[in-house]
Amino acid sequence: MASYDPVVRIENLSYQYPRSPGFVLRDINLSIRKGEFLGIIGPTGAGKTTLCQALNGIVPQFYGGRFFGHVTVGGLDTLEFPISILAQRVAVVFQDPETQLIANSVEDEVAFGLENVRVPRDEMRERIPWALEIMRLDGMEKKHPSELSGGEKQKLAIAAALALQPEVLVLDEPTSQLDPVGSQEVLAAVRELNAQLGMTVILVSHASEEMAEFVDCVAILANGEFVDIDVPDRIFARADLLRQYALRPPQVTSFYIQLRDRSFAPPSIPVTLEKATQTYEAIRTQIKVNPLAAPDRAAEEPSGSLLLSMQGVEHVYPDGTKALRGVSLDVREGEYLVIVGQNGAGKTTLVKHFLHLLEPTVGQVLLNGQDVCDLEVSELAQRIGFVAQNPDNQIFNTTVEAEVAFALPNLGIGRAELAARVEESLYTMGLADYRKWHPLALPKGDRARVVIAAVLAMRPDVLIFDEPTTGQDYYGAKRILDVSRQLHQAGKTVIVITHHLYLMPGYAERVVVMGKGVIVLDAPIRRAFHETALLRSTYLAPPQIVQFAQGIASRENVTLPILTPEELAACITGRRDKA
Amino acid sequence: MTWRTIGSVRKSPFTQLDFRSKLMIMFLATFLAFLWESPTLMGGLALLIAVLCLIAGIRLSYLGNVLRLMLPFYGLLLVTHGFWNTNVGRTPVWITPAAWWLIGGKLRLTVEGLAYGFMVIFRTLTLVLVIPLVIFTTDLNALIVGLVRIRVPYKIAFVFSATLRFVPLLFEEIRAIAEAQRLRGLAVEKMNLLKRLRVYSRIAVPLILGAMTRSQQIEVVLAAKAFSGSPDRTYRHESSLRAADYIVLVLCFGALLAALLLRVTTGLGRFGLPGLR
Repeated sequence: MASYDPVVRIENLSYQYPRSPGFVLRDINLSIRKGEFLGIIGPTGAGKTTLCQALNGIVPQFYGGRFFGHVTVGGLDTLEFPISILAQRVAVVFQDPETQLIANSVEDEVAFGLENVRVPRDEMRERIPWALEIMRLDGMEKKHPSELSGGEKQKLAIAAALALQPEVLVLDEPTSQLDPVGSQEVLAAVRELNAQLGMTVILVSHASEEMAEFVDCVAILANGEFVDIDVPDRIFARADLLRQYALRPPQVTSFYIQLRDRSFAPPSIPVTLEKATQTYEAIRTQIKVNPLAAPDRAAEEPSGSLLLSMQGVEHVYPDGTKALRGVSLDVREGEYLVIVGQNGAGKTTLVKHFLHLLEPTVGQVLLNGQDVCDLEVSELAQRIGFVAQNPDNQIFNTTVEAEVAFALPNLGIGRAELAARVEESLYTMGLADYRKWHPLALPKGDRARVVIAAVLAMRPDVLIFDEPTTGQDYYGAKRILDVSRQLHQAGKTVIVITHHLYLMPGYAERVVVMGKGVIVLDAPIRRAFHETALLRSTYLAPPQIVQFAQGIASRENVTLPILTPEELAACITGRRDKA
Repeated sequence: MTWRTIGSVRKSPFTQLDFRSKLMIMFLATFLAFLWESPTLMGGLALLIAVLCLIAGIRLSYLGNVLRLMLPFYGLLLVTHGFWNTNVGRTPVWITPAAWWLIGGKLRLTVEGLAYGFMVIFRTLTLVLVIPLVIFTTDLNALIVGLVRIRVPYKIAFVFSATLRFVPLLFEEIRAIAEAQRLRGLAVEKMNLLKRLRVYSRIAVPLILGAMTRSQQIEVVLAAKAFSGSPDRTYRHESSLRAADYIVLVLCFGALLAALLLRVTTGLGRFGLPGLR
């Protein structure tokens, strides 16, 4: 329960990084009460991370730059106290669990911060098990952090922060790289901390559904300014405002907004699944749910000729990890396939076999009937384009244009053809105006587009995107997926790896679900997304709207294999309307 | 890819020892490697260190890789000492045939030269193998505490351990970049050396930028964990010498003195071969 004492007070805060052209934060004013759970949402580049880092003094003490105004945390001014003191009041947990774990065992990771703030050894022996128990990591003390799952790693980062017994816990997109169940696990643990220990929590996230479920209050930050601060029910019901700032409401909210726009007038616009179900009960007598016919299975069967085939593939890494256990998969020409699965399920390992980046320990991988192990990676790359997760590892040139052209001389492409291909790729990816820019001077989302353009210039038949939407805001993710759809419509075979299931309707046709090195489901998207129990068994959760529709379907005893809020809204008519 | 000490996977007498005792073993081995010139003794010392490595849990394949890496260098050592070490070379085993242009009859491969070459090989092997014996078997925290206890400034100890921790990440990054280049149609395996070097030089740009980004991220993470580099901190790990450590320290010290004394009084360790003067 929040008390009225502000634990964080931000007054007229403006900040500019040393080499940034303008202010990243502008005239921010905010008071956060003790025990409050505040959510911050905003498009990429809004200043969310900068604001988080201003709370423990990293901004400006670490980066320098121009800083105006005051930030006080627990009564300490962040300009007057060193970061090492402030870190005891405000613990920050970052996005990437890999870079923030630095010790060789779980307990040493928790101990590191305690050692820095001079906690005596005896007290450490009490605080470490306490923090690990709260995050349900007890029993894993001796494990190496690399042995933990993504969710466990992030919980360890939080446990390490918690051991310092801070007054404020700041979580900067802590779930963006986690599978849905891992995310839920982390946030449920944080909610408990907030409720039981009264810890003040600030959560930054792009995931509207989790934000609406967990926080007391949501602030929209855009262009370095607070646009609005209110309770989730009111913030997420403002569809126009969200759209204006490249944000999206939770899926159930979007559904009810569409009903409201069609004059069904639910008593309130719900923002969580639970409230959505209650609201449904309230309006149930006014509406009629028209079943959606289950798709014809024969029509869903892919019809193209066999392109890629994986037969009984096992892969064992040199350290003995068995990443694939007898995987068989056929991909036909012109398919749009999405591979989903928990962190560490073997998704990337699987696609690397198509490219001969890995060789099967057992089994065979064929491209048009030819064993890919007989082909060089460079030969395969002309037929299968691969866009890996981190765009920065795939940029070697000093201009966007040179980057896009990089592969072409290696393929023996002549000058005229090269220029034509580069031009085409730049236009397709909307990069023509940036051709002379240094690729690394572009924002991360645009850097990913440079890499896609470079791969497109090779004109491969197949395109594989590995987690293309990680770290992107909603519209950034959509922009990349729109390109994939455009390519698919142009006849390319597209394979996407992701755990952002809610983004895939409208793009993918077929879903391959992986769990612990095996394919647990291979089905058309409409069927796959409704296999709730199976998805949960591999730490995935169907999109919120699918869960909601399943509740309605069983209540009304109708079939509702919908994938989006729009589809569900289209199934609803008034009692007296014609379906 | 992560840094892992052997102790986290397998326990051995070495993983149980305090870092200071292991440092003493390293010092003794290094001292003997420079004190002795006898190929037999040096061979015995290198063999002993290799066996200790295996007992400590270092994989045979690792030792094999070290040998493979050093092989060209060792070949060069044998040739240069075998033919040109005039200080020790007496007994020829082979002379360049007189018919050979320029060098005919002039170059003599000597037994002593070869023996001296082998001695240098064993010396370098001792020095190369003793490092993993000490470093791979020590937990990084124990290493930091051990270094601080022997009065190495904390900042230096931390930088040393951080380097060990993040070098594997750097290799991972190099692999990812090289992979990305191959995926752009670069057939590195078909290129000549010059072209290959040009390709590898391109790895530098993303690698340096990636390393800079990562190091800044780590700096921010460290700052958020209240790390300031100040030696004024506490340690969860204790660095205390146990009975085994005292025994090792005394034995090492005794061996060091004995070796020195024997070298001065009896000449033990001087270069020479049984049956040859």
